[in-house]
Amino acid sequence: MVEERRILYEHLDVPDINTFDVFRQYDGYARFEKAIAEYQPDDIAKMVMDSGLKGRGGAGFSTGLKWSFVPKDIKPCYLCCNADESEPGTFSNRYVLEKNPHLLIEGILICCYAMGIETTYVYIRGEFTLGKKMLDAAIKEAYENGYLGKDIRGTGLNVDIYSHPGAGAYICGEETGLIESLEGKRGQPRNKPPFPAVEGVFSKPTVVQNVETLCNLPFIVGNGVEWYTQMGPTYADTRSDPPTPDPNTGTKLYCISGDVNEPGVYELDLGLTCSELIEVAGGLRGEEVKAVIPGGSSAPILTHYELDTRLDFTSLTLAKSMLGSGGIIVMNETRNIVDCLLNIMKFYAHESCGQCTPCRWGTPWVRDIVQRIADGNGRKDTITRPKFGVAENGRWGDTGETEEIYEDLDLLESVANNIANVDTMTWNTICVFGIAVSWPAVSYLRKFRPEFEAAIREGKLVTLPIAEATVPPEENYAYQQRFVPKEFADL
Amino acid sequence: MSDELVQIETPFAFNEENQREFNELIGRYPIKEAAMLPTLHLAQKQAGYITPAVMKYVAEQLEVTVMKVKDVVTFYPMFFEEPVGEYVIRVCHTLPCALRDCKVVLDHLKAKLDTDIASETNLAKGTTADGKFTLMKVECLASCDVAPVIMVNDDLYKNLTPEKVDEILNNL
Ligand SMILES: Cc1cc2nc3c(=O)[nH]c(=O)nc-3n(C[C@H](O)[C@H](O)[C@H](O)COP(=O)(O)O)c2cc1C
Ligand code: SF4
Ligand code: FES
Repeated sequence: MVEERRILYEHLDVPDINTFDVFRQYDGYARFEKAIAEYQPDDIAKMVMDSGLKGRGGAGFSTGLKWSFVPKDIKPCYLCCNADESEPGTFSNRYVLEKNPHLLIEGILICCYAMGIETTYVYIRGEFTLGKKMLDAAIKEAYENGYLGKDIRGTGLNVDIYSHPGAGAYICGEETGLIESLEGKRGQPRNKPPFPAVEGVFSKPTVVQNVETLCNLPFIVGNGVEWYTQMGPTYADTRSDPPTPDPNTGTKLYCISGDVNEPGVYELDLGLTCSELIEVAGGLRGEEVKAVIPGGSSAPILTHYELDTRLDFTSLTLAKSMLGSGGIIVMNETRNIVDCLLNIMKFYAHESCGQCTPCRWGTPWVRDIVQRIADGNGRKDTITRPKFGVAENGRWGDTGETEEIYEDLDLLESVANNIANVDTMTWNTICVFGIAVSWPAVSYLRKFRPEFEAAIREGKLVTLPIAEATVPPEENYAYQQRFVPKEFADL
Repeated sequence: MSDELVQIETPFAFNEENQREFNELIGRYPIKEAAMLPTLHLAQKQAGYITPAVMKYVAEQLEVTVMKVKDVVTFYPMFFEEPVGEYVIRVCHTLPCALRDCKVVLDHLKAKLDTDIASETNLAKGTTADGKFTLMKVECLASCDVAPVIMVNDDLYKNLTPEKVDEILNNL
């Protein structure tokens, strides 16, 4: 069985690790001290780039690359730590805030030193009252001990950290929504570009980084890039010649919930498979895995055919899904996929910020269609439409054949795809919330279409045996894995 | 103009302790308006809910229009524009909690408190007659590993069963 490798979470359960003194005993702030004593800011930025660290908040964007977009000559520059953690199925940031807040502060300090930042806002979701209390206490201690404030440790470095509470809106996790919210407005995302790195909060360059991403920094600095890159696979991106390395390095705080015996956060090297993770989490609660959501509720669903998919950024992208926030939700044979989709669509319909018409109207519309299918009132008329699939040229497209489909299912797919098109990956909205709606809607429907059809046909929710409920990969382009990633070392 | 706005209310002002906290807050941001959310949280803690008088006061403190404050208050589910019970019970009902039978917990609470579930536009619907409890559904509370969960005011309760819910209510 795959072994846990606790790095970020290593000292999580040490009594009083939330206090400055105990944190110090476990190497606390030593990595920051090493950073300021041994490296120039640019060296740190280079180390982060070389480490291959990718953002853990959802988008999986290279942290080093993001930092490189920040203009050096515009000051002040801000750091916003994203502790909004509202993606259903995700709960790893909470434990850091509640149990080991000094680790986050150390990560923030390293980022501030590397980027010449003097002010950091930690945007904490409003419901995290305990997390905010613990972080505030830790910030206070760090000030008292001279690790925050003016002229830190006599280096001339000035850093202030402030916690900022959200107020229950999921969309404030989106980086520009977060920035708007931080400025005291409705958390409605901004058009990009300009990206926050260039023009963010208070119209200044802003680095937005997830809690977990920042917590990786002390270890990259403390143990070195070479040590860090040994963890997790580095794939070869063969689209270029010669192939370029595509790192999925480090550990990930996998959050696993739903039908497993021991749900929780497991820190493991990136790149283990779905079935391995279920095993680590005490095995399945139930007889068989019906479906797995691999990256928070926004991620396209995986079926039992895909349980050997590796849970890392690259592999999941190639499987037409995403690692997202690393929230894995497991469903066993007793679950009804229509019902699960209904739950998720209620969430999105509630959380749309309302700026863009396709999202504001489309999301409740999708919810209503799923609701009526679940209620047994799905429209029974069928329509004939062109069948899409793997066409003659081997690519996805019109196969020249036609298929019969219930009107409501066609409608569901088309409304969802008009918010954001999952096939072309284009969206008609300001932020990618649109994709977060249509991805689950379309993937659940395509991969578990028999269950949707049964609900319409029978006029009630019918939970089919897994084999009948699932569309096999050969028959549907919802899967279509373009190629299996090869590790760089194996080339 | 709606009756609500012309209604004469007790004016609102921060008490001494909150004023001190507010003064500290305001120094954190380059523009005053940015202190909006923490200020509203503070005001709601003191007043119980956000009345028009609170909005007016906050607007003056942050040097913005009242409309701007209203705009923000209506966007965020955690700000209440109506009175709520002494204890606000938030029941998570998103997928991971649903997979762990949050419905049983919700139904039990409804029966036990003899109330419906509040909606964002009708908090009274979920508030008990004695004004002690307000029952509402919320989205994922980032504790899916210990589902089903509820929050009672600021405290999180995990791995709930109807028996545990009874125990929590008895201890309030
Ligand atoms: C709808 C939506 C919700 C998001 N919610 C969160 C969140 O709760 N926490 C988070 O860290 N990132 C969230 N993100 C991702 C952020 O936009 C951003 O990519 C991230 O904070 C960047 O930090 P990272 O590079 O360290 O991951 C969300 C994105 C979208 C589109
Ligand atoms: S896509 Fe939806 S959530 Fe995003 S900005 Fe538009 S309306 Fe708001
Ligand atoms: S779904 Fe209830 S805490 Fe996440």
